[in-house]
Amino acid sequence: MRFLVLAITFLWIGEIVHAQTSPQIKFDEANVLLEEGSYQQSMELYRRIEQQGAMSGPLFLNMGIAAVQMDSMGLGKYYFKKAANFETVQQRAHIALDFVNSQFSRQSAMLPKLPWDRAVDMLKVTPGTFGLFVTGYLFLCLALLFLIFKWFNIVNIPKHTNSTIACFTLSVLIISLAYYVDYVDRRYDEAVLIDEEVVVSENPQENATLISMAYEGYEVTIDHKISSGNNNWFYIRLGNGQYGWIKSKGIKIL
Amino acid sequence: MIKTGKIFIAIGVFLLIAAFNHQLIAQDVTVEATLTETNIFEGESIQLDIAVTGSSLSSLERPQIPDIPGLRFLPNQTFTGSNYSYKNGKPSLTQTFGFRFIAQKPGNYSVPPVKISVNNKEYTTKAISFKVLDPKTIDKGNAERVPDIYVRLEPTISNPVVGQQVIIDVVLYFKNDIEVSNYQTVPGWKAEGFWKEELNNPAQARSTSTIINGTRFKRARLLQYALFPTKAGKLTLSPYNLSVRIRNGRNNRSVFSFGFNQENKELQSLPVTINVNRLPEAQNAEYFGAVGNFTIKRSIKPESAYVGESVEIITEISGSGNVPLLNKPEYEFPESLELYNPQENTTITRNNRQIAGNRVFTDIVIARNSGTYTIPEKRVAIYNPAKNTFDYSTLPSIVFKADLDPNAVVTSLEDMRLDIDPVIGLANWKTIQKESLSSKKSIWVMILVPFLLFIGAYGYKNYYDKLNNDSGFARSNKAKQKAHSTLDEAQRALDIKEGYHLVQKAVSQFITDKLNLPEAGVSSGKLVKEVDQKSPGSSLTSELKLILDKCETIAFAPNVTQKGLENDISRAKELIKELGKIL
Repeated sequence: MRFLVLAITFLWIGEIVHAQTSPQIKFDEANVLLEEGSYQQSMELYRRIEQQGAMSGPLFLNMGIAAVQMDSMGLGKYYFKKAANFETVQQRAHIALDFVNSQFSRQSAMLPKLPWDRAVDMLKVTPGTFGLFVTGYLFLCLALLFLIFKWFNIVNIPKHTNSTIACFTLSVLIISLAYYVDYVDRRYDEAVLIDEEVVVSENPQENATLISMAYEGYEVTIDHKISSGNNNWFYIRLGNGQYGWIKSKGIKIL
Repeated sequence: MIKTGKIFIAIGVFLLIAAFNHQLIAQDVTVEATLTETNIFEGESIQLDIAVTGSSLSSLERPQIPDIPGLRFLPNQTFTGSNYSYKNGKPSLTQTFGFRFIAQKPGNYSVPPVKISVNNKEYTTKAISFKVLDPKTIDKGNAERVPDIYVRLEPTISNPVVGQQVIIDVVLYFKNDIEVSNYQTVPGWKAEGFWKEELNNPAQARSTSTIINGTRFKRARLLQYALFPTKAGKLTLSPYNLSVRIRNGRNNRSVFSFGFNQENKELQSLPVTINVNRLPEAQNAEYFGAVGNFTIKRSIKPESAYVGESVEIITEISGSGNVPLLNKPEYEFPESLELYNPQENTTITRNNRQIAGNRVFTDIVIARNSGTYTIPEKRVAIYNPAKNTFDYSTLPSIVFKADLDPNAVVTSLEDMRLDIDPVIGLANWKTIQKESLSSKKSIWVMILVPFLLFIGAYGYKNYYDKLNNDSGFARSNKAKQKAHSTLDEAQRALDIKEGYHLVQKAVSQFITDKLNLPEAGVSSGKLVKEVDQKSPGSSLTSELKLILDKCETIAFAPNVTQKGLENDISRAKELIKELGKIL
């Protein structure tokens, strides 16, 4: 009996601790502060949730709203873009993005992406690298089944050899594609500039030749492979197709 | 009637002022002795000038020249002169006495202090050291090779660090018999790798005398530049071009020249290489490019403001050194402050052979929300070339408060044009997971399963195929099963002899199946021999022989019981089991 009471007490305390650290509790507190107009405090609470590793569409949308209220349009754009990845708030995030983009005094020229890059971007989202891998894996299993059926004459499959080769080839192609998409996903990252003005230079050095200027709200692509080994610098591709180095400070990776 | 009392008072006051003024005037007398040359060849003549300067020289006695060792006085060649000028709005009179001498004996000497009475007061000049040189020491060849006039770039230091001030003098050297009436610089001098600032130069270059390779030259510093290296390495200053108008006394011997024997000469200096060293790394501080003797301070104006009002963070760096190359230290501003491009204001002075001044950076920030903002302290490093090390200083943190303007209209979410309401209520939470395919364990498990399945299926297929296609393998595999089946049959047999026949059949069949021997026609002796070959000297051979013999001779046995048969069946099973291990 005593043991039972002790166990219930432990469970109850554990529940309280969990409730206090739960992202939802903090989220509610931050929302109250946001509605009261305490944008900075609400942003700090939202950030704590983010640092815990929890994420949700409403969290990023509200962070974007708080950032816009603090007049940090670049930061607002960053959070709205993150929110746009969540179906529940996607529509609102796009409206907010339209608004934020209209506020920037300087807009970057954006070259359309190549069809192959667009396809890779699409595959990253649906079905995702794991989904692609599973698809390829299923084809591999199917090819194996066909082979076993043939070996032991369990089921008579018309054009058995061709079907097996086709399934196996498809599986290899799809699994390779999954690994390529995964590689691209890990090597490149989209990012948003939140500093008002950033120098894009030819080399990762303070006095290097200037290539271009980038401004708050510009969307860039970071190449982590080339950037590695250069602390505090990122090798980027601007929306207009120019490449160069910028300081890592003042840039938010999506 | 004329009143005279006030006139006497006025005269009295005037006399008092005059007397007082006279006392002041007496105090501003200076006496200076100069020697036209301090390096003199034996037999050369020089002049000693004693200049007395003052605003009033009412009583001035001619100085008495003492004996000067190494020199012989020329009594007939003395000069006097006077010069009247205004200095700082006051009249100044300079009376000069000149005395000529001839150098007599090589050696180091000095002109002793000369006494002179001015306004009934005695003054003494300072001693002047000089050297009398032996003309025999002149290398005539070298002396002839030196051009009559040339220009040189003379840096004050040849091993500066990046950013350190290097003074470059443009110096003209010309022989005594050459007169330079004017000079003109040719534009386009480059100092690649340096930041160049021209220093204030005197309106008229003064020449001094110097001896080069035994020849007396006049040396005139025409221009001076302050250079600041912007990179490390061997940097070369390009030659400096100068156009001079000269009159050469030696060539002016023609009676028909009428003194017009002037010529223009284009001169070019030699390139000068300066070895610029790198700066050491600053320790835990930001180096913002300052090399020299600087002080830095940071202030805020105003210290509190309303939300939306601009606040200035002023960084002032002042001192001497590379003022034009100073950068603004980077500060960590709170994210919610709106930052604008900093303003810069530079004041530079170019006097006293150095670049000095101050550089003021003004960061303009605007608080968009009420609250207290802190700009953290900053440790900065200034390189001091005199000490060859960094001077470190810490700019204290700045705290300012931004309040809401009570008269301003309170903005709220509704007032913003961003027509999106925040999402409140229950949210669907996910954890951030971004791992690569190869780092997912499930991927490896998934790959392993079909691989193992393939190996297993392939193995079984091989076994299955062999079972169907290889009769010996099939017989060997089924031998035990077949033998046990025959033994079971023997156990069920009603006739004991029939039972023993089946036991013999089971054992023989097992061995022939295992060894792929013909199913019929193999004698018991051959079977025993085959087993013996597989396991020489084994007890199995004798056991086999015993059972087979018993089965063959059972028809003649006197008393055979069912129990004996069952025992033998068990023995046969055991034997088959043991034979299975060796066959």
